[in-house]
Amino acid sequence: MNFGLDRFIEAMLYRSPPYILEHVQLVLIPLGIAAAIAFPAGVLLTRPRFRRYTGRVMSVFNAGQTIPPLAVIALFFPFLGLGYRPALIALTLYALLPIARNTLAGLAGVPFEVKEAARGMGMTGWQVLTQVEVPLSLPVVISGLKTSAVLTAGTAALAALVGGKGMGAVIFAGINFFRVELILAGTLYIGIMALCLDRLLSFFESRITPSHMK
Amino acid sequence: MIQLERVKKVFPNTAVPAVDELSFTVEQGNVCVFVGPSGCGKTTIIRMINRLVEPTSGSIFIDGENILQVDSDRLRRRIGYVIQQVGLLPHRTIEQNVGLVPRLLNWPEDRIARRVAELLEMVGLDPAEAAQKYPYQLSGGQMQRAGVARALAADPPIMLMDEPFGAVDPILRGRLQDEFLRLQREVQKTICFVTHDINEALKMGDYIVVLNAGKLVQKGTPMELLSSPANDFVKALIGDDRGVKLLDLTRAESLVADGSIKSPAVKDCSCFIDALQPVKMALEQMMKHDTDSVGIRRGDEVIGALTWAEIKKHIHRISGDEG
Repeated sequence: MNFGLDRFIEAMLYRSPPYILEHVQLVLIPLGIAAAIAFPAGVLLTRPRFRRYTGRVMSVFNAGQTIPPLAVIALFFPFLGLGYRPALIALTLYALLPIARNTLAGLAGVPFEVKEAARGMGMTGWQVLTQVEVPLSLPVVISGLKTSAVLTAGTAALAALVGGKGMGAVIFAGINFFRVELILAGTLYIGIMALCLDRLLSFFESRITPSHMK
Repeated sequence: MIQLERVKKVFPNTAVPAVDELSFTVEQGNVCVFVGPSGCGKTTIIRMINRLVEPTSGSIFIDGENILQVDSDRLRRRIGYVIQQVGLLPHRTIEQNVGLVPRLLNWPEDRIARRVAELLEMVGLDPAEAAQKYPYQLSGGQMQRAGVARALAADPPIMLMDEPFGAVDPILRGRLQDEFLRLQREVQKTICFVTHDINEALKMGDYIVVLNAGKLVQKGTPMELLSSPANDFVKALIGDDRGVKLLDLTRAESLVADGSIKSPAVKDCSCFIDALQPVKMALEQMMKHDTDSVGIRRGDEVIGALTWAEIKKHIHRISGDEG
């Protein structure tokens, strides 16, 4: 293996950038789907009617996180084959848990007396949820989203192994052809993306956090 | 008017009912205080009146209407509710918190704004200063005041208050109680007030309902409770200083009404109290000035005198067994 600055610059400027958009998609799509599943699930699981299912549903989400993404792809291989879609599914399963867990924690953290007073004033169950519980738990939910985003940004590199594109393609090309600069460039970009996502969500988080919780 | 008829509540997985076949009436404009030890069912009772808890059996009427047949959210908007932990929405300003119920009732914004300012003024908060603050920026007493303002916002005829002053220090509690009584004279609500503090009950209540283990032990005016406690439980709740408490509730004028002005004692008086002050104040003056008689004044006019002997006689007369 050898490493030259000019080859590294070339990898940074020309070889990697075409994969950025793909990789961002590989992060944002699973993150979006996971949020769309885990957040309503978390809300439902804190409603009195469904509270008793919390343990079981959370164990499913937990499993999603314990199984390595590659194993999930292997699991879905008979149905979905290789490629982009199985990669998305595996990454979605991976992103579910932090969001669901933080939704539950966030909603559980809303003080009882606040909910009690809101009910006592005559707010409907829906109004208490949308005007009290969700606004007060959103900061915690978003920090779950942040965890998921960073996790997915890194894990998404594996998608390339099953033909799922993304920055992983650059890294694995580097590994296959003993090109350190490619590995480095791909990893660097993934790191930058994870950081950007984290900063972006942190910014959003601080915007919506009520001042008393800061 | 609030009526409870044989109301019973058994919580799931418990053998003993929290509230057991309770019947009573709270008249329009009265303050009815529920007092008893923890777990006696007093909080459950008022939570059943606004249907945060559904009774197992029995019926509850407000102005003749069976509340179990009313939509519970609409019902609650007609009932003011104050709890010990206040429960202001932390992400909303005081203005928004106090205007919560009027907003649920779709009042126009300018009417809400006027009402909120009026209410903050009424509970002793400066609207200009407090309205735009968040709850965490207020002191405990200010929060409690904002909680009372919120409960009064839509001018509900009924207020439920669950240990509203339980979380503040004794000095502030006394002040909030006085303010509340002044406010109540103004607004004349029908109020159910829960406390475990018998002194608060005696001070605040037109009527007191003493509860134990979900059952009504005694209902009566503070005076009735003190002068004829129904049983040992009520006696224990009131404490060993029943006589002194009685004197706290007795106005000085009521003991001089029978013309003790002619009593020779009045000449010896070196100190005076106002006719409207409690007899307890007369005792205080006697101790302070080391004398056996205190003059009673109404305005500038001396209307009589109270002697230590007369006060003793009064206690004996009213409570029989008091040594």
